[in-house]
Amino acid sequence: MTNNHTIVIGNVLRADIRGFVVASRIPEPEVPTFGTFVRAPIQQEQTDLIGIVHNIRLQDDPFLRTLAATIAPDDPQYAEVIQDQRENRALPVEISVAAIGYRIAGRGSFIYGFPPQPPMVLYSIAVCSDQEVEAITASPEFMRTLLDAPDLPTDELIPAALERAAALRPASEVEHFLVDSGRYLARYLGRDPVRLDRILRRLESLYTAARAT
Amino acid sequence: MLHIEQLHHAIVEMRRQAGARQQLRASLLKLAMEWLSELPEDSQLRTRLLPLADDDPNGIGLLPAEDTPWAMQIPCPRVDRSQVVTIGIDGSQIYPDRHAPLLYYLLHIGALLFRYTQQAPETYTHAWLRYRDEELYDAQGYLIDSETLNIERSIKEMEVAAALAERERAHSVAPIIVLIDGPLLWPYMERSAEGGHLKSYLSALSRLQEVGAIPVGYVDRPGGHLLLRLLWVSHQITQGAAGEPAGQFPLRGLTDLTLMEQVLTPGSRTVWFTRPSATNRLHALAGQEIWLCYGKFGSPAGASVARVEVPAWAARDREAMDILQSVLQHQAQVLGGYPYVLARAHEEALVTSRDKGILEQTIQRELLRDGLYTEPSAKAQQKSLLSHR
Repeated sequence: MTNNHTIVIGNVLRADIRGFVVASRIPEPEVPTFGTFVRAPIQQEQTDLIGIVHNIRLQDDPFLRTLAATIAPDDPQYAEVIQDQRENRALPVEISVAAIGYRIAGRGSFIYGFPPQPPMVLYSIAVCSDQEVEAITASPEFMRTLLDAPDLPTDELIPAALERAAALRPASEVEHFLVDSGRYLARYLGRDPVRLDRILRRLESLYTAARAT
Repeated sequence: MLHIEQLHHAIVEMRRQAGARQQLRASLLKLAMEWLSELPEDSQLRTRLLPLADDDPNGIGLLPAEDTPWAMQIPCPRVDRSQVVTIGIDGSQIYPDRHAPLLYYLLHIGALLFRYTQQAPETYTHAWLRYRDEELYDAQGYLIDSETLNIERSIKEMEVAAALAERERAHSVAPIIVLIDGPLLWPYMERSAEGGHLKSYLSALSRLQEVGAIPVGYVDRPGGHLLLRLLWVSHQITQGAAGEPAGQFPLRGLTDLTLMEQVLTPGSRTVWFTRPSATNRLHALAGQEIWLCYGKFGSPAGASVARVEVPAWAARDREAMDILQSVLQHQAQVLGGYPYVLARAHEEALVTSRDKGILEQTIQRELLRDGLYTEPSAKAQQKSLLSHR
């Protein structure tokens, strides 16, 4: 996923201050991945909602089903058709984004928590740049709304987000970043040791790799 | 709200009629197949029919295009398709709606450039938004009708085809086939003289000829009975009749499609025919007389009959037509009988109701910047409320 990448939105299916679900048609290489940080304009572009992709759902595609019935994946007779499906043909996808904070235009800092309004009209969302991700994850508070949401796959989402954020930091800072995040999770999930243990075990491999470098 | 129970008797009658129609079609088909078997095997059919074409061009329907031996089944040749470029073109539109918040219309052309090089094809789209008074209203001040818009779209499809072929030819000597969904013969005869439409269309065909690209009109599941009329006329000549065909056309209820579904095997095509019509004479004057053949493309599990139309100058190129037949057969095998490149061109060209909604919202927001507020008519608003039932 390249920086400054924009995803054109076909339709906003659902939106509230906790997040939104959009439908779009995107070529396969451009479909965002689980844990991607994205930015969406709200309040007539006066504010940017910051969110994390927590689900990508492929909608039914009868055309693809017909092709799948006719063509084997590596059939050389239809190499061009297979390439067309992989590189050109926009897949109908639903992208679910959970809000983690917002930033008022012209101000550098992020405010963690729900935004003042959901997106009303949305034509495109942008994938956050590396610098933006590093800035958003500078405080472990970015995890708060995710931890409070009962219907998100948080136990997978938080490790994915932390892994993405850790990869952007210099090697010398990764260990400190992960320890800081782990302490935050321990305070927040103190009453749910099972869940805490699950998440920390996911982070363990990242921590071990960081210590080794 | 539709009350289905009011239609019960009509539906039962429809069932009875369908059965009777099927029996009639079977007997008509048997007759058509007999007349087909009567056709002379030599090249005399065209000579016999030519005088009748001059006297009654609409009665005869079709003529064999060449003085070649008659063949209803030309099998798919084995050719090397590598490097061949097939460009599929399709168009879509939003018609002007006087009940909508804004008066405009949209033309949208989509294309897929399919190169037989093992690489991903290239997509292309272009949209035209028309909103000026001189674009929306005719000379009498009426809102333009759908046919006027369709004419403009057809011309745009051909012009885009020419532009893409010219661009392709600039860096390739490979054969180029341009496939368009629909007839190649100009279909708007009554309006040919209007505003230079036909002239623009024929000019685009000439541009394609200049770069050696072959325009192909592809009519899937053709609904007419041109070929059946030819069989009828030929049968009457065999029976000793001279001059115009006598009596009413007896194969009404049957179509060329039904006959060709019986006759052709997947991959095969008929010989070339031409239509002795006024429109084709106009085409011929510009060097773009259209010939046609029927083909069945796909696999035994899924194949479809199509009418394939090309300019005569292309049809006379045997090597090019072998490539065309091979390409159509290959393209149709992917999707059970319809060429892949046309299906994708359609997808690229398609403007959905959601696209329309987003476009109109965008335009409304833009107008709002200048304080211009627009809304749909009361009728449109009520329809919108009721459509959710």
